[in-house]
Amino acid sequence: MINMKTILSIFWVLLFTTTVTAQQKKIEIGQQAPEIVLSKTDGSSFSLSSLKGRLVLIDFWATWCAPCVGEQPELKNLYNTFSDRVKKQEFEILGVSLDKNKESWEKAIDRFGISWIQVSDLKFWKSPVAKAYEIEELPFNVIIDSQGKIIAKNLHGTDLVNFLTAYFK
Amino acid sequence: MMTCLVCSMFGKISAQQKQDPWNENQLMNPAVLAAKIVKNETKDIVIISVGPEAIIKGSVDIGPTHELENLEKLRNYLKNIPKEKEIIIYCGCCPFVKCPNIRPAFNLLQELGFKNAKLLNLPKNIKVDWLDKDYPTND
Repeated sequence: MINMKTILSIFWVLLFTTTVTAQQKKIEIGQQAPEIVLSKTDGSSFSLSSLKGRLVLIDFWATWCAPCVGEQPELKNLYNTFSDRVKKQEFEILGVSLDKNKESWEKAIDRFGISWIQVSDLKFWKSPVAKAYEIEELPFNVIIDSQGKIIAKNLHGTDLVNFLTAYFK
Repeated sequence: MMTCLVCSMFGKISAQQKQDPWNENQLMNPAVLAAKIVKNETKDIVIISVGPEAIIKGSVDIGPTHELENLEKLRNYLKNIPKEKEIIIYCGCCPFVKCPNIRPAFNLLQELGFKNAKLLNLPKNIKVDWLDKDYPTND
């Protein structure tokens, strides 16, 4: 009898733990990507949902993050490689900056000739988007499909290129 | 044999060069600092942000000290502070190994003779090691 009681208790604890864990993690493959509504450099508002129908690479970065800055020329190459898909409105990159300083952010956009969409609330790590996307470290990215579902997470370098090449084959 | 010896010598030199300017005892535990801020026990401490933003409650915003201009700003700020005062610097942009700001700032504190210089131990970043723990912030 005691044994049965113990087993039942363990079962409930396990069930509870699993539920809690499931509630905590939202940024997983197969999940819907949370909406992002942030300002572009000119102050106009931009929403992720306006890109519905396209494959979107959401690149979370900042000018204070050296590896993120190092990745920008690679993203530029990628953007050029898939420029036809961009024109056909099948692909887009959304750069979400966790910068604090607007001048640094704008300078980097100019320096790297970034022509894809850039948004930020200039709130550094306090940005609500960092919380919504459960970001613990930069660089971080997610790829979402035409319906806004997460289909890849944190791909960089050749992994990222290979993923997109295979997707658009 | 000789090659091995030379290699190991160079290995040692480069390891020394990479060594951080602070030691274990100079790392400040965030939980301890947060408790002091909550209890208003910070009058003998100067907390300085040397990164993108002064997030921690009561901290002074110097700006990222990988920029020479901000390093000079820090030098000026420290001019009127007694050398035995406890100074705690932090950045929190990135893990220590990738942070461009904490080393120049900590080196400057030591160069200026601050005996009680500390680095806030934020191994990952200010979000994970401070904000996510609901420690006190400037707003």
